[in-house]
Amino acid sequence: MNQPVIDIANLSKFYGKTRGIEHVNLEIGEGEIFGFIGPNGAGKSTTIRILMNLIFPTGGSARIMGLDVVRQTREIKYKVGYIPSDANAYSFMEVNEFLNYCIRFYRVADGSSRITKLSKLFDLDLKRKIADLSMGNRKKVSIVQSLIHSPELLIMDEPTTGLDPLMQSVFFELLRSENQRGMTVFFSSHILGEVQMFCKRVAIIKEGKIIKVEDIDSLRKKQLKKVFIEFGERVNADNFNIQGSVALTAGMGNTLSFLFSGNINELVSFLSGKKVNNLIMEEPSLDEIFMHYYQV
Amino acid sequence: MNTNLFLHELRRNTFSLILWGIIITVLISVTMSVYPAFMENQSKVMGMLSLIPKGALQFKGISNFNDLLSASGFYAVNNVIYMLVLGSIFAIVLASNILLKEEYNKTAEYLLTRPLTRKEIFFSKSSVVLLNVFFLNLVTALAGFISIALVKTGAFSLRSFMILSLYTFLLNILFGSIGLFLSVIVKRARPITTFCIGLVLILYFIYTLSKITESIAKIGYLSPFKYVNLEVTSPTYKLNLLSLSYFIALSLLFYLLSYRLYLRRDIYT
Repeated sequence: MNQPVIDIANLSKFYGKTRGIEHVNLEIGEGEIFGFIGPNGAGKSTTIRILMNLIFPTGGSARIMGLDVVRQTREIKYKVGYIPSDANAYSFMEVNEFLNYCIRFYRVADGSSRITKLSKLFDLDLKRKIADLSMGNRKKVSIVQSLIHSPELLIMDEPTTGLDPLMQSVFFELLRSENQRGMTVFFSSHILGEVQMFCKRVAIIKEGKIIKVEDIDSLRKKQLKKVFIEFGERVNADNFNIQGSVALTAGMGNTLSFLFSGNINELVSFLSGKKVNNLIMEEPSLDEIFMHYYQV
Repeated sequence: MNTNLFLHELRRNTFSLILWGIIITVLISVTMSVYPAFMENQSKVMGMLSLIPKGALQFKGISNFNDLLSASGFYAVNNVIYMLVLGSIFAIVLASNILLKEEYNKTAEYLLTRPLTRKEIFFSKSSVVLLNVFFLNLVTALAGFISIALVKTGAFSLRSFMILSLYTFLLNILFGSIGLFLSVIVKRARPITTFCIGLVLILYFIYTLSKITESIAKIGYLSPFKYVNLEVTSPTYKLNLLSLSYFIALSLLFYLLSYRLYLRRDIYT
């Protein structure tokens, strides 16, 4: 990998004694579309806020395009676009006024045409007051302001919240085209479907620590299987103890479903002594794989 | 300093500045319009004032009846609450909100992710506070000057008036610095307007209380109002160097502390 676009080394943030993130390490290469997933409170927003210099790390370091996020934040922000999770722009402004205010911070020659182009794409009424916009429209404003200066890196924190499916599709299409232009995307979300659909690589964060960084494809190709068994008699999930099975759930008294990463022969051998009516093994969804990481 | 941010903040606060300017100007003009009638019925009013307990008059700022006889003395005594208290409330409220409102309105994530340093944000915004306080003082001083000029009957010392206006400006700036400081030490982002107004009123109350109660006279030194000399009719009226140093030193201290703390402040929205 050339110089990473984002290089996070041993990054920690404690709020007093409360853990934010702990020893986070990440490297994201140029042109990547990188997903960052984890539930609420896992440390996604803390990591992003440090990258954007909204908060300061208590340990470790983070660099964007080789520049330190604390000391060289100004230079970094010329090259970075950011979509916050809460889309609260200045409510007293009109959309057009707000976007023009934003673009004046950058050295952009074709600012107005960029605003017009992006606003048309998202069907944004530039004359409306931000206070009068719905949440979805505010999100569109947030997306447009993040892209008006054609950033080299786009950092997004839950970007699709409030967007309808049509606009989500427009948004992802735009991101793909910007990515082809060379823009790197760092995408934090708890909606695994969109990460699966859009990202090439993903980091899973749990309780402030990165527990896995993997290619989406290899994540799917893991030997993890989703197993559903219907028995001909009542079964007790507590008695079903085979190595490699996680997220075991019993239903209707005679069914079991679980994720299985062990030896399939052992599973078949275990079942041979039971009365089995039905056995289904399939590829798990990313959500289920994610659950697996959270339970192991 | 960033021009874009500076102009944005200036525009954003224009309405409030105009409103405060109008209110204080009207109050000063109305008060000064009473002066000619006061002078016409001088002996009657003096007779009435002599019946009021001394403490109550001192609380109102009247320590010497003769102060009221000149237009500038009448102005200083009767307009002190508008010039000093309202001006200080304007300064502290504006300063305490200018950084903090980005946090509690959740717009900080837009502002702080622009190519700006914290230093640029702090100086751009605090310059707006300084300029607003300056303009409010300019407008109210002009209103005071014009109303004195219209009603005065005897001599009027422009020098004394300018010194009084400078005292007012210095006091307002000090409260502006205190407002900035309070906004960067508050942990959870929320408006602190009520607290700031309360602080100004409490410090004014301490000052007036110390004037009328000799046993607690020294407590008055805790209040910045104590360092404003209102005796404009005194022939020796001048800008006290100690007061000047007090205002400049404290304003700078709070300003620089605010700056240092803002540079390392974690911004939550």
